Amino acid sequence: MTGRRLFCAWFSLIGLSIASTLLALPVIEPGLQWGLGIAVFVLAWLKARIILAQYLGLAAAPFWRRGFEISLACFCTLLLALYLVPLIF
Amino acid sequence: MSDANVLDELPGDLMMWVLIVSELLVFGAGLAAFLAVRAADPSGFAAAQDTLLRTGAGINTIVLVTSGFLAALALRLRDADQRLKARMALLTAASLGVVFLVIKGGEFAHKTTLGITWDTHPFYTFYYLLTGFHAAHVVAGVMILVLVTWRDASRNIEVGAAFWHMVDLVWILLFPVIYLLR
Repeated sequence: MTGRRLFCAWFSLIGLSIASTLLALPVIEPGLQWGLGIAVFVLAWLKARIILAQYLGLAAAPFWRRGFEISLACFCTLLLALYLVPLIF
Repeated sequence: MSDANVLDELPGDLMMWVLIVSELLVFGAGLAAFLAVRAADPSGFAAAQDTLLRTGAGINTIVLVTSGFLAALALRLRDADQRLKARMALLTAASLGVVFLVIKGGEFAHKTTLGITWDTHPFYTFYYLLTGFHAAHVVAGVMILVLVTWRDASRNIEVGAAFWHMVDLVWILLFPVIYLLR
């Protein structure tokens, strides 16, 4: 892994972390909560992908990277569905 | 591609990956249980969540991803035979782990001041269980980082850093669910 990629990964993680915190700070109208939920989970998924690929080195192992990313996407979708249950019913 | 080649492609130690997946499954089950229980009482969970210090947790996220960056950088420096710089990066990463624990300790102390305990509301049961268990992993990770600073073979640093990245990864998933989603 090049140092430049590592620095880029770090900057991206900082940016995404600040974005998710800022998104959640204001009080959101109940009707828009689902949007917040989707945005927060997408940001978490992106951050997890960066850690897996750049910090843990899966960028050099496409087979495992794909497997982890698909599993992580399924897991985030499950969490999102559980979050949305009280908003829908 | 044969099975052996697929396993060879995996970076680092296979057993560390087994540990990483096991830990992700444990924390994943905890987070899913948290959201399932929340579905029965969303307003109670939202009210309890408002007592958390979101900004402090956001700062802790930045502390932890920076620490992870330094651990990854340490491995790169060690592979380039820059041992002193690698050790400095590892010690700084461990120090940031301590900073994370200090902020977390302040957060727990704040809850105690408010008279909040683990059985005040189901939210806090999950909060203390999940963040407390994660903090225990941070303590272990700090000790591992100090250990691999001392025994700084490249393979040791790779395994120690992988454990630290797992701690990072768990926090990245735990932080939005516990602190951000209302």
